[in-house]
Order: sequence, then C-alpha cells, then structure tokens
Amino acid sequence: MKEKRAERNLLQMVEAHGINRRAFLKYCAATAALFGISKSKFMTSLAHAMETASQKPPVIWLEGQDCAGCTIAFLGLLNPPVSSIILDKISLRYHETAMAAAGHTAEEAFEEAVKAGGYVLVVEGSVPSADDRFCMIGGRPFKKILEEATANAAAIIAVGACATYGGIPAATPSKGIGLNKALPGKAVINLPTCPVHPDHLAGTILYFLANGKAPELDKIGRPVMYYREVIHDNCRRRGHFDAGRFLMDWNDPAQKDWCMLMKGCKGPVTNSDCAVRRWNDGISFCIDCGGVCMGCAEPGFYSEMTPLYTAESETSKRIVALRDAGMFTKKNS
Amino acid sequence: MGKKIKVDPVTRIEGHLSIEVEIEDGKVKDAWSSGTMARGFEALLIGKDPRDASYVTSRFCGVCYSVHQMASARALDAAFGARVPWGGTLIRNLIMGAEYIYDHVLHFYQLSALDYIDIMAVADYKGNDKELLAVRDKIISLVKAKDTYPLTPRYAPDEFSVKDPDIVIHAVRNYLKALKMHAKARNMGAIWGGRTPHYQNIVVGGVTSYPDLNQVARFRTMLDEQAKFIEEVYIPDVLAFGTGPLWPLAKMGLGGGHYNYLSYGAFEKDPDGKELVFPAGVVVGLDPANIKVDPVDTNKIVESVKFAWYKDNKPVHPYNGEQIFNLDKKNAYSFVKAPRYDGKPMEVGPLARMIVARNKDLLGLVAKGAKPGAVARHAARAIETKIVVDACYHWLDELQSAMTKPGFKIHDTEHWDPPASGMGAGYFEPPRGALGHWIKIKDKKIENYQAVVPSTWNASPRCENGARGQYEESLIGAPVPDPNNPINVVRIIRSFDPCLACAIHIIDPQTNELRKFIIE
Repeated sequence: MKEKRAERNLLQMVEAHGINRRAFLKYCAATAALFGISKSKFMTSLAHAMETASQKPPVIWLEGQDCAGCTIAFLGLLNPPVSSIILDKISLRYHETAMAAAGHTAEEAFEEAVKAGGYVLVVEGSVPSADDRFCMIGGRPFKKILEEATANAAAIIAVGACATYGGIPAATPSKGIGLNKALPGKAVINLPTCPVHPDHLAGTILYFLANGKAPELDKIGRPVMYYREVIHDNCRRRGHFDAGRFLMDWNDPAQKDWCMLMKGCKGPVTNSDCAVRRWNDGISFCIDCGGVCMGCAEPGFYSEMTPLYTAESETSKRIVALRDAGMFTKKNS
Repeated sequence: MGKKIKVDPVTRIEGHLSIEVEIEDGKVKDAWSSGTMARGFEALLIGKDPRDASYVTSRFCGVCYSVHQMASARALDAAFGARVPWGGTLIRNLIMGAEYIYDHVLHFYQLSALDYIDIMAVADYKGNDKELLAVRDKIISLVKAKDTYPLTPRYAPDEFSVKDPDIVIHAVRNYLKALKMHAKARNMGAIWGGRTPHYQNIVVGGVTSYPDLNQVARFRTMLDEQAKFIEEVYIPDVLAFGTGPLWPLAKMGLGGGHYNYLSYGAFEKDPDGKELVFPAGVVVGLDPANIKVDPVDTNKIVESVKFAWYKDNKPVHPYNGEQIFNLDKKNAYSFVKAPRYDGKPMEVGPLARMIVARNKDLLGLVAKGAKPGAVARHAARAIETKIVVDACYHWLDELQSAMTKPGFKIHDTEHWDPPASGMGAGYFEPPRGALGHWIKIKDKKIENYQAVVPSTWNASPRCENGARGQYEESLIGAPVPDPNNPINVVRIIRSFDPCLACAIHIIDPQTNELRKFIIE
C-alpha cells in the first residue's frame, strides 16, 4: 500500500511538471532496469529523492589520459535517453567534450562548482605518474585538477579501465595510473570495462542520487549489482566450452557459435554482466560478434591479457589450467 | 605587438588542445596550436604480438576508434601477406560507413552547433508546433531554475550568431534528435562489431563476425532511418545555415588556411578495388576554377619535430624517424609533430576529400561565392555523409548476394599467425581525414609501430621553415573584435573536428634516451 501511495504522489508531482504518466512510467521502468530491481521499489526511492532534492545535483566530469570513449559510450544511452539525464536529472557543470563553454569560461565553471561542493565527480582516463606534464589542462597538471576536484566531492566514480586501474596507459612509458593509486585511501566507485558500460554509469549515478550512498561494492570497488557474475557463466557459447568445441576458423558456419577460448577469450575469469545486459541497447557484445572477451573489467587489463588473440597470455594460461583441473564444471563455477 | 590570448582547454573536441592567438586591430595576427596530453601507445606496442595492434590502437581514440582498427588491420594485412576476402571487406566497409554517419552528425549538432546559435532565442518562439513548444518550455524551465548547464556558460553570441527564434528552435529540436540518431548509428556498427566504442570484430585478415540475413535486414532497416534523418534533417540544416545566416562567414572564407589538400582515397566499390568511393589525390594551392589533382606519393611525407617536445632532428619519413623525447626543449610548444607533404602543410578531412573528388555539390557552393573554410567544411561533411549512405546500400546488396553463394569467406585464416618478419603500411580515409599506420615485424613481434593521423596533419605546430600548421594558418585574419570573447577562434578550430588523443599517441617519453626508429 505504501508503495502505491508513493507512486501516486510522485505521478501527481511529475504531471504538474508537464510530464505525462505514460512517459514517466516508461522512464522509471527503463531506469529500474538499469539496477535490475523492481519498478515499484525504485520509484519509492526516486520519489523520495525527487521530493527532498530542491535542485538538480551537480556533476563534474573530468578527462585525464583518456580517449573520450567512455563519454561516447555514455552519450549512446537510449533507455533512459541520455538527454533526460543531462537536462533533467543532473546539472552537468563541467565536461570538456560536452559543455558549451571553452577556455577561461570553462575554467571558471569548474572553480565555481568545486567551491560549492556536494557534486558527483566522474573521472575518465588515467593519471600520468611518470611526469605530470604528460597531461596538462588549462596550463595545469591534470593530477592537480583531480586533487582539487576530489576535495569537495560527495561521491567519486571512476569510469573505464584507465581511470579505475590504469588500463592500457598503465603499460605505456607515461605510466598511467588509476584512481586506486592516484587517490589512495579515497572511497571510489569503480566502473571498469573499456569503455564504461553506459547502463553501469547511469545506474550508479541514479542509485547514488536516489539512496544518498554508493551501491554495495566488491573488494576492488565495483558495484556488486553489475560485476557479481563471471561472464563465462552466462555466455551462450558455454555449452561448447563444456563440450570442448573451440572455434578455429571464422569462415566455417559450423564453428560459428563455438567457444572462443583458443582465440584468447578471458570470459572465464572476468566479472561483468556483459553477457546478460549486452551492449548498445542489447544488440550484441564482444563474444557474440565472434570476438573475444579481453578481460577489460579486471585490474590486469591490458598487461596480463596480452598476447590478446591467443591462449598464451598469463590470464589464458590460468584459464586453461583451471579448466584442466575441472574447476569450470557447473558444480564448481 | 598585439594582445595574446589563450583558449585552453578548447572544449567540444576530442582530447586536450590549447590555442594561443595574437590579436592586432581586432584580427588574429598569429596563432599557435598545442596538444597537451600524451600517453605513449607506440612504445607500448614494441615487442608485442602484432595482432594486438588493431585492438590497442583503437584506444588511440574513443570517438574515431574503428578507423584505427581499420588502418592498423590494413597495415597488418600487408605485413602478414593476408588477402581480405570480399565478404570481410564489405563488413569492414559497412562498419566504417556507420562510423561516418555517427561521427559527422555528432560533430555538427553536439560539437559545433552551439558556436553558431544563440540558444536562448528559443524563448521568443511564437509558433504553435507542439513539439517545438515543448523544446521552448524545456529551455525556459532550465533558465527559471537558474541551471542551464551544460548549455551555459558560453562565449557570448556575436554579430554572426543566429538569433531568429524559428531557426534556433528547430536547431535545438534537431540537436536533441541527433543525440539519439548518432547513438543509433553506432548501434548499426555493433551489429557486426559487437559493441561501441571499440569494436571487437576487426582483425588481421578480415573480420570475426560471420553474418546472417537477419543482421543484414536489421542493418538495412536502421540505415533507412539514418538516411531519412540525413536527407530530411541534417543536410537541410547544414545548407540552411551555410547559405542563410552563415553566408557572410562562408563568403569571407573564415578559417581557410593554406589551401593545400590531401586524401589517401578509400572504400572499394568492387572486389578488385579499382574504383574508390573517395578518390586519392593532392591539391596544392587550390584554384577553384581549375583544380589540379596530383597522385599521392607517400614517399613525399616527412615529419618535423623542430617545435615539438622531441630532441631536434631533421625531418624524415615516418618509416625512418628517430625519436628522442625532450619535455624541456626551448621553443617547443606541442606534443603534436609536424607532418608535411613535399615540404608543405596539408589540410586533410571532408573538405580535402570533396575538393580532391571535384565534388559538384561542393564546387557549386564555391561557384556561388563560398570560399573554402569553416563553413565549407561543415558543407563537405554533409555532402559526403550522403555519399557514404549510398555506398552502404551498395555494400549491403553486395554482402547479401555474396553470403548466399558457396565458398563465402570473411577471413584469411591461412595468414592468421604472425610472419617471422615483415612490414606494411595501412592507409585509410576516416571521417577526420588521411590516416596512415606503419608496422615492422621481427621475430613475430612488433619491432616498430607508427601512425600519422588526421589531427596530426591539421593540428601540427610549425615546421623547419617556420610554416604554420593548418589550424594555425586558418586562424590568421579571423575577426576577434573582443579578446574576451574569441568565438571565431573556436568556430574555426571546431570546424576541423579536432581529435587530439589520436594526434599525440606517438611519443617516446623516456627522457633523453635515444630510441632508433627504423622502418626502411
């Protein structure tokens, strides 16, 4: 009963704001799907958040040694549409790739938002540890800007492999490091994968806004709701792995759906819900296109995953050993 | 001595860019373009399995990822001696087609439009279109709540900004539509690429995604939606702006630059690859009335490091470069090197491709008085998006026909394992312009890797003889009546669609340590 009342109150409220009931329910259902929770439960918490928050919560998005891939991934969010998040749910104070401002106008917007505090800080890209000068913005080292921004942040979210654990830049001579090393001791929500999954990011931001706290995290700071399961356990090629059928020739339609282990798949030791959630509005994901899982949700990406397209990487050797030891039988996995 | 101002960071581009201009009598007298972030991807690749290259180089850039996979795979194809089956080429081309559609639409609406419209003019919309009224009310509600981020703050609109409420409100409506359309265009690529950004299916020898007819039908349906948007919204918007309110900027030729253009050529129309959708060619010192196109000779490419953070060295071909990183070098001001063709700075990208192709639509605009520059770049992008859409339909038909015949292939499995040694170059024409990847293999590992990317050409600093890079030259003479509001500077720079992470992947940051860079 309680939930029903909350739903009604919220609907009256949004109708007063000119959003019709159907559109709002659709929005809520899509948002709830991000969390994998029931619609009514989510609406109760969202109702509370909307009723108590007098203005849109500010978000600062910083880019360090990045490729903007996480930004593009986030802009690809269709359900709920990213425009509704940017314009209706958050106040995006600073984002180099999206904001209208440039130069000193942009820098002032950053300073004002930091001074006011209470924002969600999203960080994309690694921090160069070999020399600060490998990443300069507005004439200042990215590292310094990051430290300033963390001071008054309500929550810090690292997006993508680079910002979480260093990713590919970690293996370059600029020695990129993730926030785990750049901000030791700080509470950071880690959303790895290269790039970040837009659902993971939108869901985490909205979870924080609805509940006022981070979702439950695993030992390496990843939300359990997205990274609990091993890709392998939900892979549609799993039956072929168990039966020992491995794809060797991409031209052979008979092998088309066989297991990708011999081409370097790291799915058996990678935690993420990619195989269930899939990517790009559910169209596909890495393993479905005849590609392999490169383990981009794990801290060992990229150095422990190379050579990528063989079963000879450190990670692949570990998988093969585990398989030979019978560790992937249904009972144990 | 004029007044110097700096725009840092230049936003709504990929990567970290700083532009400094010297202003005298309200005009730009001199300019410096500086890339301010580097990672060092090339050094990472040395010693790795060559097949890693197409996966890793995709991470040069999260905006134009697929094109690096493409150029890298082509360099690997050449080095491995692999012959990509027609089925593999078609799927690669279709994915690149989706990249063009997404990239150009995103650039016009999300990255550029805010430079040309006074978004607050929507408040004065007096019409009764329900959809447009909803857009107006949305913006008004943001203003009332005193929270118009990220649409403000901004540079103040100037005399060239479009303030007509009818035009602006349509543009804002289409800005919101475009957010969905470019996401959907990336989804087209994901049908075979697995996901975006950073596809999973492009590898040496072809692709990994064995297609089925459902996928072809799905791609076609999604392409239909994109084609409709491009023909009915994107192209009309670009033309309406370019020949309407922005015509003074087009006639003035704002952001022209050196008038030298380079295209490597791309997109096979048939299995023997004789005919290309975008022809290759070089144009030096454009004369629009008599365009002289020379064939491309890649041996004429050299890179200068005189004003970049590397130890001094004479300009050399990317194959023979020698790199010593020097962060403390005097007079250096960028991580971007300075590539030159036959000693000359070049513009690469949509405008270069359409000039090299002697495209009738573009030349029609030029004949009417539009000078090649910032506005023409937007027009060239729109024109070639339509060309790519048409090519996608052709490739889809070809794929559908090929995949139903016996012996259909997508990959050269014979050449999957790396050769003991080899070398190869991969050229491509991504949305932003001419791209080359070079690889040398020794003992089945990468001995050397080098890429010269579009934004390296366009964003380069000065070279040996002091000649400015194309961004820098294109800023000269641009009107900046108010040094605190250099809106024309960002209009010009953004018209190139800068991509700086790409431009500066190539460094050897081991300070003062000599590393030979030899690919003969």
